[in-house]
Amino acid sequence: MKGTYLGEFEELVLLTVGILFDDAYGLAIADELEKQTERNVMISSVHKALVRLEEKGYLKSHMGGATQTRGGRDKRLYTLTQAGIKVLNQSKELRNSMYKQVPKIVWGG
Amino acid sequence: MEDLKQKENPPKWAIRFFRCYCNDHLSDAVLGDMEELYLRRKKKLGKRNADLLFVWNVLCFLQPFAIKRKSSPQNSIAMFENYLKIAWRTMTRQKMYTGIKVGGFAIGLATCILIFLFIRNEISYDRQYANQHIYRLYNVWRGPDGDKWTSFPANIHTILKNDYAEVEKAGRLIPYKWFNAGSNLIRRDDRVDNTYEEGFAYADNELLEILGIEMVYGNQSDALSKPGSIVLSKKMADKYFPNEDPVGKIIILNEEKTKPFVVGGVMKDFSTNSHIHYEFLITLTNVEFWPGEQTSWCCWNYNAYVKLRPDTNIPAFEKKLTSIRETYLVTYLDKQGDQSVTDVKKYHFFGAQPVEDIYLKSDRIADELQHGDVRYVWLFGGIAVFILLLACINFINLSTAKSANRAKEVGLRKVVGSVRSYLVKQFLTESLVYSFVSFALAIVMVILAMPFFNSLSGKQLSMPWATWWLLPSLCLGAVIAGVIAGIYPAFYLSAFKPVDVLKGSVSRGSKSSGIRSAMVVFQFTTSIILIIGTFIIYKQMNFILNSKIGFDKEQVIMIQGANTLEKQHDAFKNELKQLAEVENATSNNYLPVYGTNRDNNGFWKEGKQKIDKPVYGQYWYVDEDYLSTLGMKLIEGRNFNEKLKSDSGSIIINQAMAKAMGYKKSVGERMGNGRIYYSVIGVVENFHFETMKGEIRPLCMVMGKGGNIVSVKVKSKNVAGALQSINQVWNKFMPHQPFRYTFLDESYARMYDDVDRMGKIFATFAGLAIIVACLGLFALSAFMVEQRSKEISIRLVMGASVKNIFRLLTQNFVKLVLVSFVIAAPVSWYMMDKWLQDYKYKIAITWDVFAIAGVMSVLIALFTISYQSISAALANPANRLRSE
Repeated sequence: MKGTYLGEFEELVLLTVGILFDDAYGLAIADELEKQTERNVMISSVHKALVRLEEKGYLKSHMGGATQTRGGRDKRLYTLTQAGIKVLNQSKELRNSMYKQVPKIVWGG
Repeated sequence: MEDLKQKENPPKWAIRFFRCYCNDHLSDAVLGDMEELYLRRKKKLGKRNADLLFVWNVLCFLQPFAIKRKSSPQNSIAMFENYLKIAWRTMTRQKMYTGIKVGGFAIGLATCILIFLFIRNEISYDRQYANQHIYRLYNVWRGPDGDKWTSFPANIHTILKNDYAEVEKAGRLIPYKWFNAGSNLIRRDDRVDNTYEEGFAYADNELLEILGIEMVYGNQSDALSKPGSIVLSKKMADKYFPNEDPVGKIIILNEEKTKPFVVGGVMKDFSTNSHIHYEFLITLTNVEFWPGEQTSWCCWNYNAYVKLRPDTNIPAFEKKLTSIRETYLVTYLDKQGDQSVTDVKKYHFFGAQPVEDIYLKSDRIADELQHGDVRYVWLFGGIAVFILLLACINFINLSTAKSANRAKEVGLRKVVGSVRSYLVKQFLTESLVYSFVSFALAIVMVILAMPFFNSLSGKQLSMPWATWWLLPSLCLGAVIAGVIAGIYPAFYLSAFKPVDVLKGSVSRGSKSSGIRSAMVVFQFTTSIILIIGTFIIYKQMNFILNSKIGFDKEQVIMIQGANTLEKQHDAFKNELKQLAEVENATSNNYLPVYGTNRDNNGFWKEGKQKIDKPVYGQYWYVDEDYLSTLGMKLIEGRNFNEKLKSDSGSIIINQAMAKAMGYKKSVGERMGNGRIYYSVIGVVENFHFETMKGEIRPLCMVMGKGGNIVSVKVKSKNVAGALQSINQVWNKFMPHQPFRYTFLDESYARMYDDVDRMGKIFATFAGLAIIVACLGLFALSAFMVEQRSKEISIRLVMGASVKNIFRLLTQNFVKLVLVSFVIAAPVSWYMMDKWLQDYKYKIAITWDVFAIAGVMSVLIALFTISYQSISAALANPANRLRSE
């Protein structure tokens, strides 16, 4: 299936959605990513990734949680779907198994 | 308050811009995010930077994932299909209206396409010379009777090349009938039979280079450089030397075996859109038409073409040319003691005209070439636009008139959620459908009408299918015409309020009756102007053909190419006179129609050559039968008599010459051209030997023999029989030369081909305009009858007569036509008065033309509406009323 591959940035966004749990919306995700990775994150790239992930079925969203600072506008709040959780697990396992296969000598050197 | 709020928030325009491109899924959430970010930044970085960063953010979202998708494409295709279906249904439901809409539009378009092709052809002449710095020189007489002409003395080309650094190349051309220029009998030296050919001209070899004439055989640089060489067109080379290289072959003209011509090359045929078209170019190298001719300033017979340096300033060059006058002409005139020298110093100037302007922008420079007229290009362009407008008006008129029928549809569409822009789109689509159908029909019409139009315009036009831009531009044209014609109905129809429509309270199309009337007036004004124009042109043409022209052109046969008879000339003429059918015959080169010789000589009273200014006039050699054969009238004195020896010193002048010379009684006076003097023996009544555009100019005739043309006046009505006997005589004398003849009256009429053509073109346009206008009127009247059918039925039931109903229905339209007439009459009077100013001899514009045109237009309009009106008045009212 086209587009089920998970990019590095997408994976990070997916993880951040998990971290933020019930308040995962565009700006919060961008802030969290900046904090965690110490990279400069564009709000537009976050939203782009979110749209892609939702299309892929790893995220679902609903509107809610308007505040005065947002000019009274709702947030689009994202949560992980079962598919999203599964793909995160798979990716983690893949890394672990590959990590284990690296000979000890490499780490020692 | 507003300002305060503005200060708190990010720039509004950026928000608006974001909203306009961002899709619904993201716009609220992202805007919220951005605003949150903005507030945070404003605290940290200040408003200015926050604003800038906000705008930057907005721009960052300009990516596919965030941009609005057009409402799903499938839906709009479905809607479009529906529009087409509805358009098709309306078209088929009302066949008459559709026919009139499409047919009228197609007629308008076809006219436009044809005129476009015509104009395109007119402006395409000599385009290859544009900006090549190639000019033709001309003379300007900036005095009373200002004049411009193109002939120069024989040594003009050497003067130009020696005296003017600007001139890179200079070449001469003799474009008119003169010695071998014009037409000749021609044969290869190894054949016996002659063929008559036209299209001969004399040219310098340099002319080939200046005009960039491409060669098939031989070289541009030397094809005409040898004495006695001749260049043939490809067409003629194929005719006389098929499948061989004719260079070096010998050609005999007019049986002059002592003066053979050697083919120096073959040039490509001149394209149809070139200002000159020659089949044969004869070299001017070492040519001298009479002793001393090449260096004399007496006689001006050469046209001069020059190629100038690219940096030449034309006005300055024209000014510099004046030195030709000072150095050469004035010296010559002084030596001759010519009294016109003071005028020459004052008035004679020179000019240079770009070759690409010669055809269309002749600028009243007199030459013998065929010209277009820039005024006609504008006029026809204007007429094309008008006829298209008329057709568009029909379209708009009918669409709005029938709006009541569509009102319910509009109402219903609005109720189920259609917004105005959809309806506009629908009606524009519909009008585009009409437009494309009309275009297709128009192209068919153009193809069918092309031969007729070509004969009308004297051109060989065809649809340029091969050009890449034709189809795209036709499509573009269809779209533009469709939009223009459909835009008013579209907005008018889509503005209906659904509530009013469904309640049935929309006034049934009567709201725009003012505009509709104005449109009918516009249509009929245009038509009436064209009708009046046609009438006046035809009257002028009729005047030209039938007015007293000073000679009798009926039943005169002109036998061409008689110069080859040489010594047998008199014998041939006398034998013709013996024939029972022949009344008289004369032989010469000069006839009062085009295509025969003309010249211009200065005349003085004897002994006054160094005192008086010359009177310029024609100098014709004729024989004693000339006047009687052509039916010219002597108003004073007597005719030539060949038996009188002294008559070789006699001269007959026309009234214009007598007046110009200031003679009270002409007979017995002596006058001449400065070399020979004659005594006047007779005065002939003025006759037209040029077109009626100019005044009849002075002319005189002396005795001469021979000539190209033997003119025969036929006695009986049986011209065919006479021709046969003449042919027999001819074959007896000249077995190897084809018998060629023309009729004098036809040649005379050909001088006015342009008037005739104008008349026919106007008649065609007038007809088209009337047809389009009547189609519209017919449909409108049908519509009106339909609208008022109930009223008519009730009137009929109440006892109205057919006459009453007829009057009720027609009087409005007749009023409109009368209004049109009142507008059209002065406009057309002004226009046609302008046109007639071209003619010195012309008709007066009289009221009867207007009366006829007015009555005609009213009758046509009445006739058009009467069908509908009478059938409405005769219908059984019960049928209509019952159906309610």
